[in-house]
Amino acid sequence: MSMAKFLLRRTLQGVFVIWGVVTVLFGLRAVSPGDPATLMLGQGATQELIEQVREAEGLNEPIHVQYGDYLGDLIVGDLGYSWQSEREVELMVIERIPATIELAVAATVIALLIAVPLGVVSATRRGSPSDYSATLFSLLGISTPNFWLGLMLILLVGVWYGIPYPTITPGSSFPVGIGLIDLPTGRRGAGFGEAVMALLRDGSVDQLGLWVKHITLPAITLGTYFTALITRLTRSGMIDELGKPYVTATEAKGLPGVLVRYKHVLRNTMIPIVTVLGLQMGTLMGGAVITETVFNWPGIGLRLISALGVRDWPLMQGIILFIAIMFVVINIVVDALYTYLDPQVTIE
Amino acid sequence: MISDRVKSNLKRTFGESLLPKLGLVLLVVILVMAAFAPVLATHDPTRTGYFHENGGPYPPPGFDYTTTVAADGEIGEVQITSTSEHLLGTNTVGQDVYSRFLYGARVSLLVSLFGVTLASLIGVPFGLIAGYYGGRIDDGLMRLADVMLAFPALVLALALIGVFGSQPIRVPDPIVAAGLAPGMPPSIPIPGSVTIVVALVTWVWFARVARGEALSIRNEAYIKAAKSFGTADWRILLKHVLPNSLTPIIVLATIQMAIIILIEASLAYLGFSGTTLSWGYEIETGQDVLRTRPWVAMVPGIGIVLVVVSVNLLGDWFRDALDPNIEGSERGA
Repeated sequence: MSMAKFLLRRTLQGVFVIWGVVTVLFGLRAVSPGDPATLMLGQGATQELIEQVREAEGLNEPIHVQYGDYLGDLIVGDLGYSWQSEREVELMVIERIPATIELAVAATVIALLIAVPLGVVSATRRGSPSDYSATLFSLLGISTPNFWLGLMLILLVGVWYGIPYPTITPGSSFPVGIGLIDLPTGRRGAGFGEAVMALLRDGSVDQLGLWVKHITLPAITLGTYFTALITRLTRSGMIDELGKPYVTATEAKGLPGVLVRYKHVLRNTMIPIVTVLGLQMGTLMGGAVITETVFNWPGIGLRLISALGVRDWPLMQGIILFIAIMFVVINIVVDALYTYLDPQVTIE
Repeated sequence: MISDRVKSNLKRTFGESLLPKLGLVLLVVILVMAAFAPVLATHDPTRTGYFHENGGPYPPPGFDYTTTVAADGEIGEVQITSTSEHLLGTNTVGQDVYSRFLYGARVSLLVSLFGVTLASLIGVPFGLIAGYYGGRIDDGLMRLADVMLAFPALVLALALIGVFGSQPIRVPDPIVAAGLAPGMPPSIPIPGSVTIVVALVTWVWFARVARGEALSIRNEAYIKAAKSFGTADWRILLKHVLPNSLTPIIVLATIQMAIIILIEASLAYLGFSGTTLSWGYEIETGQDVLRTRPWVAMVPGIGIVLVVVSVNLLGDWFRDALDPNIEGSERGA
């Protein structure tokens, strides 16, 4: 099967999954308690007004007609209006996407930078103190709820720089620490895009520095679970690979051990890791929701939580749909990468 | 059900490393804490108002603080020190932190044990039938699984909580009913809808693993033999396929249990808890006073980490002993 055919098939499967997600979301909204018109208008609305809105929004139609209308609107890219703010849901989602992507990417980069070397060291020096520390770290990492980790980091950073804890406020942009390494515990400075533009335009690194400071604590909070997970995967994968006959054979031939380890063994180990990373995208987004809440980070997760609080279904549906689409797209990319990383894999 | 090979593997790996022993001891301690919470607690965990005479909550040892008070028309600084009456201090509304820590273990364990049981009761039969019969049923299950997996577990749980609400079910506390712990709350709140929600977001993993097992078992000679004797399908599934699929399902259950504990805590932290006794809820209330009363958020978090570590250690032990490659076992909340 050619690559183009493979991608086409995976895309069709992806469209099916998205349709399923849309249907589940519609079903949840349909069975959830509370009258949409009342939620839209607030408690004080007159019966007459509520009836008008019900008619205008098609809420008096049979459920299958409402479902059809909903699907039709989605196909032309219309996610509806937020019940709370009456703004277009598309805009409310899109304006929050950069913050969430920045956070997710930063967390993944941190995870890969720390976890892969840690896993390699752990696997090649089994039973050493560094192996034990890596194992302990990864056990704690996968067992710690990230919202609590975030709060403890805020405390720790304050104590580290000799700041008595009463001056720390979680969720505020007030920095913890002093001088160059002060770390705000909340909100986002400039966007990454703006910061890079400022650098290119005026040669000023201030904005970029501010961005780094703001994202540090949230990215560590979100990234720790993945760092721990990838360390475990790298370690066990490397141990499996190192036991294979080709490793002994290439070393016997006189190839330097370092070369064998990093060029061949690590490459083969990375294949399952990439797959897991793709499947873990959901976990990463779930973690982002929580992390954004702790640090008041203005991404889609924070918006999802506030939409949930007031049962703003169109906004909730829009955000969850976006997350699901991202999951599907990334997993198609991962499958394509898989064939690139491992030439033995044939697409079927 | 569990073969001798599996038993001997379990024994061998238990002896080889310190970690499974540590996990087992931790879990037993936590189970005892949870089961006998009313006896071990020093105060009613829901009773408020245990404040220092100068107004603030009691700190645990090492967290003494000063506060400003107005007395006799003058404003002065007063030192607030820990007391042996409240081992881990009191929280923002003056509840005993140590007693709430014990009761929090109950919420965490009850939701995760019931959640895992419910998830496997939904997922395992579904998966076994799909794998055994194959065809349309199997296709349907796999497509449904794809859809379920496109939702982050926590996000789906949040959407479901929006539908189910989060009212707890109150059941009488057997220890208090037996008269062993006078003065303790007579009923335990079980977050029933949270339990259903966590089962609904995790059952699909059980279905996938059970399906894979059934798929590989259905062509075995003994199944064909049973069929040729005219044994009914449901009997084959119950007597042959299920017992032979059990090992990986048990491994998966430990890992999903750890994940469910984290999901429950996250839901409670976000304010969608069935009960204020949840550790996650306690952390949320501690967040607002993190700068002045850090122990309120610290203590319940340590509880969560300990429970999840113990479950993960046992999960690692089972996996090392039984089956190194089980799908869904490297997945988090």
